[in-house]
Amino acid sequence: MAQVPVQTIHRDPQLFYWILFPITIVMILTGILRHYATVLMASAPKKLDQKTTREQRSLLHGMQVRSSFHALSKRSFNSRRDALITAYESGAYLKDPERKGQPPANPMTDPSSMEGMMGMMKNQMAMIIPNTLIMSWINAFFSGYVIMKLPFPLTIKFKSMLQAGVATKDMDPRWMSSISWYFLCIFGLQSVFNFILGNDNAASQMAQQMGQMGPQTAQMFGPGVDPNKQFLAEAENIAVVDHYSVLDGVEDRLLEGIRV
Amino acid sequence: MPSELELQISPIVQESLVHNTRTLVNLQSLTASLFGVSAGILGLESYSGFLYYLIFSLITSALFYVVRVAPTSIASEKPPLDTSRYFRGPVEFWTGGLMNGLAGFILTWTLFYGLVSA
Amino acid sequence: MTILSKTITAFGGILLAHACYSAQEHSALHSLRVATAASLTSSSTVANSLPIDVVIETIVATFIILLGLVLGTRPLRPIQWRVWAGKIEREGEDGFKDNNGEVNKDYMGNPFNFIESRPNFVDIRKQRKEFAEWVRTGGGGQSTR
Repeated sequence: MAQVPVQTIHRDPQLFYWILFPITIVMILTGILRHYATVLMASAPKKLDQKTTREQRSLLHGMQVRSSFHALSKRSFNSRRDALITAYESGAYLKDPERKGQPPANPMTDPSSMEGMMGMMKNQMAMIIPNTLIMSWINAFFSGYVIMKLPFPLTIKFKSMLQAGVATKDMDPRWMSSISWYFLCIFGLQSVFNFILGNDNAASQMAQQMGQMGPQTAQMFGPGVDPNKQFLAEAENIAVVDHYSVLDGVEDRLLEGIRV
Repeated sequence: MPSELELQISPIVQESLVHNTRTLVNLQSLTASLFGVSAGILGLESYSGFLYYLIFSLITSALFYVVRVAPTSIASEKPPLDTSRYFRGPVEFWTGGLMNGLAGFILTWTLFYGLVSA
Repeated sequence: MTILSKTITAFGGILLAHACYSAQEHSALHSLRVATAASLTSSSTVANSLPIDVVIETIVATFIILLGLVLGTRPLRPIQWRVWAGKIEREGEDGFKDNNGEVNKDYMGNPFNFIESRPNFVDIRKQRKEFAEWVRTGGGGQSTR
């Protein structure tokens, strides 16, 4: 393949001052604003009544026993296991035991679960609204400018993404328009926010999306989950634990440790 | 990587682990931006830029080891380059921050590459 | 961050800014020269490489800032309970000091204090001695009055 001559485009240096820096500064300020908006809008966790708390705590208790069985002696583990399994299977810890067999209530009609939904909606809104606003702002003001060149080559597939609004067929995909600088900012400003706002900030969308992947504990007691089924599953899990104590053979380990 | 039984015999303080990892990740995301700045000034392109990032990240980890880990770790009779006093595994220590800082690196690299070689 | 790490970082930052300025000026000058050379002759493939001193300055500045940042990190904590608990017992608050000498805000006191206050662990002989001391001094003083 013949050597392709490096494309050079003479750009006005003013492009930097009037496009690049405004976009960057607006992105940073939006991140900070989003952080404080999330802090202000955070709703305090609502109080649970006694029965609900008992239901959740007893399930957690079972999990704890299952995961740290090694700290218990065989006898105490067995008595705990028996007590927990009987209680779980009889539904003694349920919030309302008479509704045991019925399907869970529709989360849309339950007012207590609506509250949780509202919180999630608020977070989503705090993420979506600034993004759409900034994106349309960039599209309205800065579309069609080629502002800079990426320092690494890309395949032709990226052309439509990076050079949106610049309809030039032969241009190297390394040249990027203002909208792609916006995308770079979304991904790369995390460290800047870390530096400015401390570690657990809510400024970056990326962190929030990561957070939505893994809130297992929040979903465990979420609406629409049948607690009875959870209890039965947990009882089964506890029943199959093969118990050993961490103190088994501790004398040998001690003797090995003090051998000179 | 210690086995499950070993972890149960000598358990791990989760808070300390989080604290250490966070310290390291903070440092690495900050320095990734710095490397982006210097790679942009040097005008590195494509592979050499990424190689530059890789080398300097490893240097960061090594320096972090020398300054923060080594004095107490060696004093407690661990072999050199053993980070098990503060981190769970060597892989986590040496390469944990690479992916984390990459986005910040590319951002500042592009910015300064564009600024300098305009 | 300590003063030392801050000074080192600031110094490196100045060096890096200077290197950036030099590189920018060099490339501006270079592109100007290429433009004029292109108008004079047709061959304009002069390699645009930075002068060696700017390269060295950039790398040295990077290293200096790196050193400053690493020195400014918070001290680590041992992750094994037996090491960590020993450290807490021996040093108390000192183990939680960050670089400014302030106690970290997630220090909640010795996590084993509640065990110390269990009746099983009470040192009854020591308490008896203390009580005898108190009877001889404070208690005794009260009775003579």
